[in-house]
Amino acid sequence: MTSMISVTLKGIFRDRVFQGILMTALIFLLIPTVSLLSMRQVTELSITLALSLNSLIFLLLSVFLGGTMLWKDIERRYSYGVLGLPMTRSSYLAGKFAGVALFFLLTAIVLGAATFVVVFFASSLYPPERPVQWEIIALCLFFDVMKYVLLVAIAFLFSTLSTSFFLPVFGTIAIFLAGGATQQVYDYIHSTAGDTLTPLVKQAASGLYYLLPNFSAFDLKVNAIYGLSTSFSGLLLTIGYFLLYTTFILSLAALIFSRREMR
Amino acid sequence: MSAISIENLTKTYRGKRGAKVDALKELTLEIEAGEVFGFLGPNGAGKSTAIKTLMGLISPTSGSATILGKDITTPDARRSVGFLPENPSFYDYLSAEEYLVFVGKTFAMSGPELKEKTASVLNRLDLWEARKRPMRSYSKGMVQRVGIAQVLVHDPDVYILDEPMSGLDPLGRTLVKEIIKELRERGKTVFFSTHITADVELICDRVGILVAGALQTVRPVQEILAAGVVGYQVKAKDIPQELFSYYNADSQAEWLSVPKADLGPVMARLQAAGSTVELVEPQRKDLEAFFLDIVAHSQA
Amino acid sequence: MRTPLLLTTSSLLFYLLLIGPFAGYLQNRPFIERIGYVPSFKVLKLVAADHKEVTASFLVMKVLMYFGGLIELTQNEVAVAPDYPAMSRLIHNAVELDPYNMDAYYFAQAILSWDVGRVDLANKLLDHGMQYRTWDWQLPYFAGFNHAYFLKDYATASRYYQRAGELSGFDLYKNLAGRYMQEAGRTELAIRYLSTLEQGEKNLAIKKSYQLRLIAFQEVQRIEVARDEYQKKFGRLPASIDQLVQEGLLTPPVDPYGGNFYLQPDGKVATTSKFAFATKEGSEPAQK
Ligand SMILES: Nc1ncnc2c1ncn2[C@@H]1O[C@H](COP(=O)(O)OP(=O)(O)O)[C@@H](O)[C@H]1O
Ligand SMILES: [Mg+2]
Repeated sequence: MTSMISVTLKGIFRDRVFQGILMTALIFLLIPTVSLLSMRQVTELSITLALSLNSLIFLLLSVFLGGTMLWKDIERRYSYGVLGLPMTRSSYLAGKFAGVALFFLLTAIVLGAATFVVVFFASSLYPPERPVQWEIIALCLFFDVMKYVLLVAIAFLFSTLSTSFFLPVFGTIAIFLAGGATQQVYDYIHSTAGDTLTPLVKQAASGLYYLLPNFSAFDLKVNAIYGLSTSFSGLLLTIGYFLLYTTFILSLAALIFSRREMR
Repeated sequence: MSAISIENLTKTYRGKRGAKVDALKELTLEIEAGEVFGFLGPNGAGKSTAIKTLMGLISPTSGSATILGKDITTPDARRSVGFLPENPSFYDYLSAEEYLVFVGKTFAMSGPELKEKTASVLNRLDLWEARKRPMRSYSKGMVQRVGIAQVLVHDPDVYILDEPMSGLDPLGRTLVKEIIKELRERGKTVFFSTHITADVELICDRVGILVAGALQTVRPVQEILAAGVVGYQVKAKDIPQELFSYYNADSQAEWLSVPKADLGPVMARLQAAGSTVELVEPQRKDLEAFFLDIVAHSQA
Repeated sequence: MRTPLLLTTSSLLFYLLLIGPFAGYLQNRPFIERIGYVPSFKVLKLVAADHKEVTASFLVMKVLMYFGGLIELTQNEVAVAPDYPAMSRLIHNAVELDPYNMDAYYFAQAILSWDVGRVDLANKLLDHGMQYRTWDWQLPYFAGFNHAYFLKDYATASRYYQRAGELSGFDLYKNLAGRYMQEAGRTELAIRYLSTLEQGEKNLAIKKSYQLRLIAFQEVQRIEVARDEYQKKFGRLPASIDQLVQEGLLTPPVDPYGGNFYLQPDGKVATTSKFAFATKEGSEPAQK
């Protein structure tokens, strides 16, 4: 499996994905200037912009890298050679996934460094009223990476279900939007405003809430931007949620992929 | 124990809207350890289907198979197998060397052994110069050579090759045939598919002919060649006139075409007449004709 | 080979011809069009996913750019009625997406209270912000000013000033109570509030709006001083501003908002501009 991971990583780097990220990351240079547009929260705006740029890059990576990973191997018929080796389909899948996850981690370190530099610069232009909480920004980035790694797992699951890349790409985008909204919808139907809904709708929404990934738990942007403290136990729960949900999705994907016909 | 044992292997592809293709029908076949087996059949006969099933890439509709006694549904069955897919394609961002190392590692090779083996295989397949270039810059023939190389690198006991000679130039074809002969000498088992009879004639111990998903016959190649003798061309000086007018079909001076059964009496007559026999050449129906016969027969 | 080349050059040529008028058209599009349509925060919340804070900032920036453009135009004497309801709507959307966004509260205070005359809306937003920005002294400071100046609810104003003082650690805001918490000190309260904000402001559009208002209030203060002098001298209120000018107590005042100052029967200074540029809808002016 380690050799599968390294082959996957090599593929990502040699397809110049990292250069693409660096090109996109040039936008970081604009952040201090744009932040000056803010009247009362220059530093906060710079953190907002930097974190959102990170999320955007990871979203694109999850959808287009994660969503086409398996499809490309099958489409270009690399899979015949690889799966003809004495490697289980599960370890093939796990190797590919771990390769992407590792790449995300490396990218996060680079983008995180860029974020720190940019925010540091902005905060030195207009010192914020409250000191920047660097550790919360780092935490926010880490949880962001977790969220998008989970999204990659979902992209993999879609890839095992379909022979085209439409389902992985568009399905992943749909799940991303749905997963970001579930908490809101759940809160809504359990508020007084939700009383007008029929019980069936409520139950269906609750069912979806438990089934779909809950991405809002991973979103620590507000905490990072405004230096709000985080709940330690809540973060631990989120990590546990991430591990279990990802394992579940990946093993389901492996189960489907093992039965898949490589014809 | 046979190297590959296939029993009643059947594969039906189910397409969209209920379309069905019976690509493989009740294939039963034993490949002995140490033999080179040619799996011959026209395009679309089901050769690749059989091979993909053996490699666990697709699952059989019914039937079973083992490789060196291990059921093909487990990855363990592929432990001692070198597999070359049809028209192979490998991670094109890797170089040939990197891919061979990757393959070697999945076969639990490592260190100097892997390095040495990689180098020798690259040299053998004339890929040494190109070994560091990404494979996306390779020609079709070079990729096919990489395919052969990745089969050899881990020195397995069983080789399953889907059309190993396709896409190669005459030099490459000869090279592959040589390699297969070497493998036989080293006691390895080779099971390869082809639609070219000449390939089989030269290197195979046995041949199985597959037409439209059904196995028509399995015969030792030598036996087919021997049974294929239909008569002899006899070259002699001073042939008696009555023999000449009876057996010379194409008016060539000094040549007689003698049916198989008549060879003895004709030779005796020639000897009696004092003619000098210079050459006796068997005339055979070659494998190609045999193959075409079987295909025509099965379609009738 | 020749056709693509021909197409490339000709399309480039036409592009160069077109781009001038195109940019001109976009530049001259009415402001009302430029602030554009923004979907409700309910929709935005769903599609913004994990970019809610950025979306909120974007909305605030949009309002700010729009407002900045207006201020720029008024300098050149082009009176355009700002679309205050649209601006207010955007600010509301922004704080729904990111209840911590200080720019939104700050801008709301600057615009809603003065220009739109909806102190109630401004106070509501400020209270909303205080629930989240529990550490921020500016929000209660604004609320205190609103209650003292606009609503004349001095008791509530003191409470807010008290809180601002505690949060900031400055006693200044607590002390504001004594001197300004009465009708007579209103103009000075406003001038003080405005000049504090004006000094700390780096956004040019906002700074300019403060400066305008500050000039207006300084004019009011001049008139008030002249009026009081008149009253001291003649023992009665002047009938009009002209009277003050004629008596040589006052050089003619200029309303930067383009209105005319006048004296109300009770002697209070007012202006026909109501201290704001003409509003689009008949929203209540800031000061009567
Ligand atoms: N994925 C597939 N779906 C449906 N039919 C297929 C598929 N692959 C092969 N076939 C059909 O199965 C038959 C055997 O194909 P194949 O095994 O590739 O033949 P060969 O390798 O002998 O040329 C052919 O009729 C082919 O059209
Ligand atoms: Mg084939």
